[in-house]
Amino acid sequence: MNDVITVGMADFKTAVAPILLLTAGLGSCIGICVHDPILKVGGMAHIMLPTANGSLGGNPAKYADTALELLVRDIMSMGASKSRLRAKMAGGAQMFSFPGKPPVLKIGDRNSEAVEQELKKHGIPLLVADVGGSFGRTIHFNVGTGDLHIRTINHGEKVV
Amino acid sequence: MKITQFQLDALREIGNIGSAHAATALSTLLQRRIDMSVPEVWAVRFEELSAIVGQLDDPQAVIYVKVEGDAPGKAVFFFPVESAEIVVQLLFGSNEPMDLYMGEMAQSALKEVGNILVSSFIMALTQFSGIPLQPSVPALAVDMIGASLDAIFLEEGVLDDTVLFIDTQLTGIPKIEGQFIFLPEEGSLKKLLGAMGV
Repeated sequence: MNDVITVGMADFKTAVAPILLLTAGLGSCIGICVHDPILKVGGMAHIMLPTANGSLGGNPAKYADTALELLVRDIMSMGASKSRLRAKMAGGAQMFSFPGKPPVLKIGDRNSEAVEQELKKHGIPLLVADVGGSFGRTIHFNVGTGDLHIRTINHGEKVV
Repeated sequence: MKITQFQLDALREIGNIGSAHAATALSTLLQRRIDMSVPEVWAVRFEELSAIVGQLDDPQAVIYVKVEGDAPGKAVFFFPVESAEIVVQLLFGSNEPMDLYMGEMAQSALKEVGNILVSSFIMALTQFSGIPLQPSVPALAVDMIGASLDAIFLEEGVLDDTVLFIDTQLTGIPKIEGQFIFLPEEGSLKKLLGAMGV
């Protein structure tokens, strides 16, 4: 059994293979997973909102832009090469819909767009985006192999 | 907004009255005894939610109602899937397990339960404060509790560092338990407290 490190909401962690990173119960939030497949190190961030724009102070790990910045910085400080970094993400669901009302601001979609954009800025290829839908996800990320294990309650289980 | 101990006590009182009404409504609906705990009032960082709800990927039925009117907010009732199953079976007078995930009958029954609970909570609040409030139609998710709650709290794309919960546990016979959260918007809190003279 691999050791597992849990990443809480608005939190990020790095790890060295064969440790697994876990985050549980992603709804509109996104789990961003980044790793260097050669050095076999990586990290995961559990972001809640697209951008820290305008909100001063607070926890930078809450937002896609500032969290990714910190995550990449920490992975690089472990000796990873930026050009080798690869990313996967999961989450960004729309859990509720009210009859007759179009969902106003789909925060899940805005989150996944923000992550995509930030990864592009850092020049990190996004290999997998398992986002959207109306169900929660619990994810395990293997920082060595890059395998992302996605579990749901009623929408199956897979490794991507 | 900074919350004083005195205001926390007032909020607990709001929770007390609201959930007493909600418990009575559920009890009438199910023809079973339902008890409620003394409400807790929490001002916590949303990230610390797991301290309140436990395992974030625990399957629970969540009924979400938006509170509209002069002091808007959000009201959420959630209970473990096993409890939700019992409630639905009691409602239909059936011993057969019902599919809460896909079954339309079971889902609309759950929504109705949420509707009744939340409406009675809100009516109590209106009577008590004199501030007119209306519940929206209920929305339902049967899924990981953390996923449902994050979607509710982050819906507008903003999040205060501190979230205020009025949290009551409902328990009943047989083994029914559920949790009720009322989350006033910041301006609403001021109004509700003002109407209560605190």
